[in-house]
Formats: sequence, C-alpha cells, structure tokens
Amino acid sequence: MFGHLEPEDFVNLIEGCALPAKRKSHLDSCARCGTKWTSMLAMHAEVTSLDADIPEPDWTEFRSAVRDRLLSRSLQRASAVRRWTGWSIQPAAAWALSVFVAVALTTGAFLWNTERTSSPAGVLEPLPLHPAVESNDAETVKAVWSQTALFDELVQLGDAEEEQLRQMIASAQKGTPYRQ
Amino acid sequence: MERTVTASMPMALGNQDADAGLVERYLAGDTSAFDELMIRYERQIYRVCYRFVENREDAMDLAQEVFIKAFEHLPGFRRESSLKTWLYRIAINHCINHVKKHSHEFVEVAEHMSSVRPSVHAQLEEKEQREHFRRMVQHLPPKQKAIIELRINQQLSYEEIARISGRSISTIKASVFFALEKLRKLVKDR
Repeated sequence: MFGHLEPEDFVNLIEGCALPAKRKSHLDSCARCGTKWTSMLAMHAEVTSLDADIPEPDWTEFRSAVRDRLLSRSLQRASAVRRWTGWSIQPAAAWALSVFVAVALTTGAFLWNTERTSSPAGVLEPLPLHPAVESNDAETVKAVWSQTALFDELVQLGDAEEEQLRQMIASAQKGTPYRQ
Repeated sequence: MERTVTASMPMALGNQDADAGLVERYLAGDTSAFDELMIRYERQIYRVCYRFVENREDAMDLAQEVFIKAFEHLPGFRRESSLKTWLYRIAINHCINHVKKHSHEFVEVAEHMSSVRPSVHAQLEEKEQREHFRRMVQHLPPKQKAIIELRINQQLSYEEIARISGRSISTIKASVFFALEKLRKLVKDR
C-alpha cells in the first residue's frame, strides 16, 4: 500500500521536479496531500514575496564603515603589541637594562672572587678514601694493604739497618759487591 | 547597479576563479580588491542578516561584523570551499549566535510591533498581512530560517546550502518542508 507523500516529495514539487507516476496519482487522489501541497505553495510564495520589502542601505557608506572598522581594529591590535614590546626599544629602558646587566655582572664576579680567596689555601682537604676500599673488594684491599705494609717496614728501619741499606746502595752505585 | 547583476548571478566556476584572484590581490595589499569583494557579496550577506533581525540598522551592523570577521580571517581561508560558501557560513553562524544572545530583545520588539503596527497601517491591509507574515517567519528556529532564506530568497542550490550548513541535501529539503509547514500552522493559528 502506497503512503502519503514524503517531505522531500513536496520540496521536489516546489522545485518543479516531476514526481514518479505512482506518487503523482496519489497526490491527485489524496485530499490530505493535495491540501498540504496547496498550502505549501502558498507559504512558499509568501516567503518569496518577503524579499521585496528589505530596505537597502547606502552601500558606499556600508563599505567605508567596514573599511574603517577593519582599520581601527588593526590599529588597536598594533598598539596592543607595541605596548608589550615597545619597552625594549625605548632609550631610557635600554639604558636601565644595560646598567642593571653591568651591575649584576660586576657583583657576580666580585662575589665569586671573594669566595675563592676566603677558602684556606694551605690546608689540604682530607683525601678521599680509595674507591676500591669503599667498595670492599677483597683482592683490591689485599693489594693496597701489602703496599702499605712494605712502606711501613722501610719507615721503621733502625739506625744499623739504615746504615746497612745506605752501604748497599753505595756499593751498587760503585759497581762493587756489597760485603756485610 | 553593478551589484544587481552580481547578486543575481549564480555562482559558476568562473566566479570562483574570480573570487580566488580577488582574494590573492587583497592579501597582496591591493585595496581595490577589497571593494570588488564587497560589491560581489555585500547585498547577499546583508539580506541574510536582515532575515534574522528584521531591521536595517541591526542588519547593517551584523553584515559589517560578518565582513570584518571574514577579512580578518582571509589569510587563513584554505579554499576547501568557495569564497561564497565560506562567507555564507560565517554569516549564518554569526546571525544564529546573535539571535541566541539577543533572543529576549527580539521577542520584545516583535510584541511591540504587533501592538503598534496594526493601528498605524490599518488601511494597508496587504502590507499589514505581509508584516504579520514576516513576524511569523521570525518565530522559526534560526537554522530553519537560514535555510529558507538561502534557498527561497537567495536561491542557492541545495548542494551549496548543504556545504554551508554541513548537512545532507535530504536534511536541507526536509528543513524547507518543516519550515513551510510550521509557517502554515502559525498563519492558521493567528
């Protein structure tokens, strides 16, 4: 069973498009669709007639108003930008900035120099522990210990032993065999 | 006079090329391109705006704002659509936003008009009827009003309206139908 016309069918009719035969015959026979179609045509004509009543402005004035408003807006934008960036190019501000930079650099250099000279130059900082010692690596600890032990033995020589060592070195320098 | 010709001319590909050329010239600093672009579209845009506010001063203000917006954003115009479509889209969106912001004022004006106009123009029945119908059109939802204006008065194609509004052609056709249907009911109930 074929139903009533769809909204798009009415619009197509208004636009002057032909309906398919079945729909056309429905429109001819259906009072409801016929009434709707007639009233839609009337509304369409009314809307079309509205266009004639629109008062026209002075177009030259209109154009110049748009031009003026565009110009004033671009000027406003430009002055806003200048307000934020202009300070960097003003002479007084530039002088103030350069004086500030000079003072800051001088103060910084002075403070750095003072800090360096005030630290005690003659006092040696305690040497940090050998990292290997800190790490508790057994072999490294052993090696370091053996070197320390030899040094300690040399330091702890008695007078006689020291004399003996001195003679050994002297005879070695002369190339003669050492005799005890 | 030149306007009457350009406004009634359907947008063809040649017009699109001409628009593109004018946009290039305007962006390059050619001030005469501004006038040419305005002449091409001022009347159409003004009439769309008029449909939303129904008075000359507000329509002029709205149309000026549309052009200011358009010219300010012209460097970013990506030419994915024609200039005409782009301008109409700006106009419709701007008008719909304006109506949403000032909806109370419009109701007041409409009520005021309905109380004053009949006494002033009692003898001009035809004009009065047309005035009344105009007020009925004002009661349409903004989007339907826009579609009615673009199709019936500006005679844009359904394809163009679909591009402007971002809806399908079937939706646009249905909107035309429902707008006319609503008008019929409003007129019947008066």
